[in-house]
Amino acid sequence: MPSENPTLTKEEMIPTKPVDGQVLKRLIEAGLIWLRSNQQLVNSLNVFPVPDGDTGTNMVLTMQAAYEEIANSREKNFGEMAHAVAHGALMGARGNSGVILSQLWRGFARSIDKQAVLDIPSLVIALAVARDTAYKGVVRPVEGTILTVAKDVAAKAEATQKNAVDLVALWKEIVEEADHSVQRTPDLLPVLKEAGVVDSGGKGLFFIFEGILRAITGQTLEMPAVPIQPLKDMVLENIKEITEPGQDYEVIVDFHPAKPLDLARFYYDLGEMGTSIQLGEGDGLYRLHIHVPTHNLYTPIDYTRSLGPISKVAIENLMEQIGSGQKNNQEVAYTLPPVEPGQNAVVAVVPGKGFAKVFASLGVAAIVEGGQTMNPSTQEIVKAFENLPTDKVILLPNNKNVILAANAAADLTVKRVAVIPSKSVPQGLAAMMRLIPDGDFDNVCEEMIEALKDVETGEITKATRSVEIDGIEVQEGQIIVLHNGHLVLSVSNLEEACLGFLKETRAEDHELITLFYGENVLDQEMADIELKIREKYPKQEVEIQKGGQPHYQFIISIE
Amino acid sequence: MIDETKPLGSILVSQRTIASIAYHATLHSYGVVGLTSKNFVGGLARVLVKDPTYGVSVRYDGRNINIDLFVIIEYGTRIKSVANSVSHTVRFQVEKILGIPINEINVHVRGLRVSNLD
Repeated sequence: MPSENPTLTKEEMIPTKPVDGQVLKRLIEAGLIWLRSNQQLVNSLNVFPVPDGDTGTNMVLTMQAAYEEIANSREKNFGEMAHAVAHGALMGARGNSGVILSQLWRGFARSIDKQAVLDIPSLVIALAVARDTAYKGVVRPVEGTILTVAKDVAAKAEATQKNAVDLVALWKEIVEEADHSVQRTPDLLPVLKEAGVVDSGGKGLFFIFEGILRAITGQTLEMPAVPIQPLKDMVLENIKEITEPGQDYEVIVDFHPAKPLDLARFYYDLGEMGTSIQLGEGDGLYRLHIHVPTHNLYTPIDYTRSLGPISKVAIENLMEQIGSGQKNNQEVAYTLPPVEPGQNAVVAVVPGKGFAKVFASLGVAAIVEGGQTMNPSTQEIVKAFENLPTDKVILLPNNKNVILAANAAADLTVKRVAVIPSKSVPQGLAAMMRLIPDGDFDNVCEEMIEALKDVETGEITKATRSVEIDGIEVQEGQIIVLHNGHLVLSVSNLEEACLGFLKETRAEDHELITLFYGENVLDQEMADIELKIREKYPKQEVEIQKGGQPHYQFIISIE
Repeated sequence: MIDETKPLGSILVSQRTIASIAYHATLHSYGVVGLTSKNFVGGLARVLVKDPTYGVSVRYDGRNINIDLFVIIEYGTRIKSVANSVSHTVRFQVEKILGIPINEINVHVRGLRVSNLD
């Protein structure tokens, strides 16, 4: 997380200030932060070419590599700095969109070359060269993607350069065009239209551009324009509400009203259609949330469309979800112990209901569900501890991918928050054992961090593809064993995997072996393996717990 | 010929069909500027016939499908990322269209195209 405040100071906002290397650095940082703030939104749009929901992440990683390349540079020359950005982006390029992004930077940097400061003509030419370089990278450029956005932006810059009074004015035009271009992508690429989304890569590029503009105009970069409330949360709240009749579907519409909204009129009209109306606003984009009965399902969508273009619609069948939600809740219920004011409260991120129960029994104050492939957002974590009656909060991310979000959450609050960098659930549990609710905050944190070292963590899962890592060959479908995050074994069945791991870590020299079994493991399977382990390690304490985690059949901890 | 036996008969898919899907998926990947033959003789034949499976080789050993792709990549892109992206896209498209899992996809980078020198 870059610590510097990316907002430019008043002095730098004056357009006459030359845009040199140091200014570029700030702008890149701003673009990165704004993209990161909207990363989940971009991920959710990803349907082309492969709908794996990682465009936002790939673009953030690419931009992050670009920023890291220049973070400590004192270079004054704009062109030199741009070359460094391009180099960083290239080294960090990930996925299609990341590679395209790195090519845009490469073209941009080459065009600027060694120019000391940026001016309007060189920006216009650089955008054109960036576009050309990106287009050259593919035999059949597909329109309706990030490439199209780059093309439209370059054309707009060329067309408006004569009217633009300064770089800031021109940049405003460019950002606006990027937005429009993104909105047009579904018309060019049928698969987007089918899925009802705009292109994710194009949207990502737009966020980078917009982040730069926001920094110039002094707007905040940390919070996304549209709050992306995880649907799961909304549904949970809905269960708690005593459900009024006529709430069959939840409809969420994002739209840009063509003219300023008459809110009174808007609310009145919507009140006729359904209940639970909420409206979020950010920069001309509105997000409407409403619950409607079945016969009114499409009315709010048609209505908002009459006001201006719609960018996204999400419909959820509430009745069905309430049913399934209740079933899941009954399976493993847990109650969290109350926290007294001034106590140290622990918030844990856990990958399954079973783990939630275990953590709850150890005294955590709040739980955020998430983990591998379903990382919770910063906001979810903040929300979890914001309402606790204490200002001393300890976060246990329990996954290395969540540590960043936890750190970001710590930055967003006035509370005293310490992140204990637990990379796995067993580490988190070990840390939990050292919690003293009324102890001195710093001492407790130190103890908890110390505890992380005492645990050996094993994770057992099925390989989703064939690969060779660290000299171990894995076939798709084989069972693989990770020891503290590193691949150590690949075998054909779960039993071999468990015993192999225990052998690998010399479990006979430790005292306690705990197995957490996942949601896909049968009780019979578990019992067989338990028997084998007890036979082989008679001197060690063996504990079996239902973790209920997805993906990992077993998580093993050895202490 | 790769077949899947169904109660009413069999579905037979030729290697050529699979190669064709892989070929198009590869060309849609960013950073790939072309496919090339795996040997010189093939390169000569290219002049004579326009083949939609050019630069793709599909091997089937009775159990697994393996695909080899011979590509030319744009100079200046990160080869590792592009190759990863190609294999990812090809696997996804072939598996989506055929519904048969692919064992391995090898991307052979046979050359780089230099569009303009930095």
